Amino acid sequence: MSEKHISWDWEIKNKTTWLGASFKELYSYKDLLLRLVRKEFLASYQQTLLGPLWVILLPLLTVLTYVLVFNKVIGISTEGFPALLYYLTGITLWNLFSDIFLGIIPSFSQNAPIFSKVYFPRIIVPLSILLLHCVRFSIQFIFLLIVLLYYYFIDKINIDSGTLLFSIPAIITTAGIAFGAGLFFSIITVKYRDLLAMIQFIMRLFMFLCPIFYSLAMVPQKIKWLVVLNPLTSQFELFRYAFLGKGSFSGIQILYSVVGMLLLVIGGVLLFNKKGDQLMDVV
Amino acid sequence: MAETVIQVENISKLYRLGKISSGSLRQDMQYWWGSSVLKKKNNFFGPDDIPGSMHINNDFIWALRNVSFDIQQGEVWGIVGRNGAGKSTLLKILSRIIRPTQGVIRGKGKISSLLEVGTGFHYELTGRENIFISGSMLGMKKNEIRRKFDEIVEFSGIEQFLDTPVKRYSSGMYVRLAFAVAANLDPDILIVDEALAVGDAEFQKKCIGKMKDVSTQSGRTIIFVSHNMQAINNLCSKVMWLQKGSLVASGDAKTIINSYLGTTQQKVWKQEWQSLDDAPGNEFIKVLSVKLIPQLPDPLAPIDIRTPLTIRFRFYNFGKQINLVTGIILFTNAGECIFDASHPSDVYDEGIIEGECTIPGHFLNDGSYYISIVFVKDTTQPLFTFEECLHFEVEDYREETSWYGKWQGYVRPQFPFTLKQYTS
Repeated sequence: MSEKHISWDWEIKNKTTWLGASFKELYSYKDLLLRLVRKEFLASYQQTLLGPLWVILLPLLTVLTYVLVFNKVIGISTEGFPALLYYLTGITLWNLFSDIFLGIIPSFSQNAPIFSKVYFPRIIVPLSILLLHCVRFSIQFIFLLIVLLYYYFIDKINIDSGTLLFSIPAIITTAGIAFGAGLFFSIITVKYRDLLAMIQFIMRLFMFLCPIFYSLAMVPQKIKWLVVLNPLTSQFELFRYAFLGKGSFSGIQILYSVVGMLLLVIGGVLLFNKKGDQLMDVV
Repeated sequence: MAETVIQVENISKLYRLGKISSGSLRQDMQYWWGSSVLKKKNNFFGPDDIPGSMHINNDFIWALRNVSFDIQQGEVWGIVGRNGAGKSTLLKILSRIIRPTQGVIRGKGKISSLLEVGTGFHYELTGRENIFISGSMLGMKKNEIRRKFDEIVEFSGIEQFLDTPVKRYSSGMYVRLAFAVAANLDPDILIVDEALAVGDAEFQKKCIGKMKDVSTQSGRTIIFVSHNMQAINNLCSKVMWLQKGSLVASGDAKTIINSYLGTTQQKVWKQEWQSLDDAPGNEFIKVLSVKLIPQLPDPLAPIDIRTPLTIRFRFYNFGKQINLVTGIILFTNAGECIFDASHPSDVYDEGIIEGECTIPGHFLNDGSYYISIVFVKDTTQPLFTFEECLHFEVEDYREETSWYGKWQGYVRPQFPFTLKQYTS
């Protein structure tokens, strides 16, 4: 063949790859990524009365309900902290997890009409959801800081700015676990839609397996292993430690979470890249 | 010699029917048991592997089969073929949306595909916002969109509504805006799938004009699928013709279009028999030929509502000195009779007889029609009915009107019709 010397820019074959698009290619789609984040953010507040205020209002209302139920009615101890602050700390991190996880799952099913008409690295969509919820989270995070300051001045609660920095690894690990697990389920649920209904149920149960309304120290020894097995547990304790200066976790538990997060993210991304292309024949 | 920008080598695409969306976990567990544990063929996520034994039964269909071609830089290719020929599958593979089951495609430069009008548009957001969303989805950089923003807005002609959510747009405005974004794409290779089949005639003309500019001025490579032969003929220098997943022919546009139109329409526009033994009919009548002859200004143009249609038929009459009437009955595709036209009855002797009937232009509405011919003796006794012997389509054509919805009715005659203003 005389055309052997031709160098091609790209090649399409029948084999799909685990690694998907190169970083160089992904970077060339950064405008699309940011545009999708903006689109989702704008679209979710069209024709609403309060608009982006809901980012703060919703967790606040949730927390008020939980304060009423768990604190006032059932009477679970909040370790001497104001119940509102105690629950808001846990709920803020929980929302980060559940928003990212539940947001990424329908990546394929919701975007199938777009995916079947135009090519871009598919991972851009879950990445944009991750970013979107990180933006929302940062608003909620600032709100949490304001509430903390309020209690600092009114209730004279101690704030140690040194421990506050511990919230950063907790946020990264939690977001990572949500992202990786979300990618796994986004692929599986395309094939088995009945899993979607199950996920709603599992999430509700899972919420009580996370130390949001209680602390690990309060869990009876008999069932402690179950709570510790949850890789998010130590992150919730770490996050609360960052804000309130009180939390029970060990180095081993943190390591367990971080390794779990890395495995989930790597495995999730690889599976998403490998199976994503083939799913276009299924959806 | 121009350089090759796309090289397609033996690509095939196999689809599995039915089993693809079994969708229940139990079935797939059984499948997995069969494939992984008992070492049968694994097809968990669709056809990753090709069935080795080629047991292509009802479960599998080849949407494309061993298609190969090269495209040189600056060429404008049209892809023609009937529904299900694999045109869309080919475009989707070229656009990297789906992967071929076999074969390799190599290419140079950036590809943008335009398989739908308004890819990525969000109904709740404004026109301005959607220009950016759709643009970046089609592969434009932010700065690129900014630079071309005014041009896009001007081409779409919707300046006033830029900050209105697109859900309040009329469908025409929506299409204009969407195409304006796409038309200002700047890829090396542009893939277009019948996106032009939308919008009104004037806008379609504008779109074709724009694409023509793009190809001639900037030497862009374009691959274009359409059912509109006129558009293909107008735009493309090369044509490839697909049939049931295989490449029938490719090359010079005029030649391929001619042979394509020839084979696809012969069956329905023309039927002919060489000997009386083969010819349809009975002991009274044998039909030798039926032909539909549209009076088109250009042999490549489709039949549209302006086209006069001549039906010419030839038959052998075995009766001696009989009083004969023939009738042309026109039906819609749904089987409703529109008219039954016949000539004055007269006496004919045994032998070959030729009949001709012309349906004037500006009479039929757009749609699919078929024709049956009846032969009647003594105005009461039916001799033979040649059912559904011709089949044709009439395309819409509106240049002088301002109404773009579906035109009602089976006929669209132009009667003398005036409107007068009386001042009070």
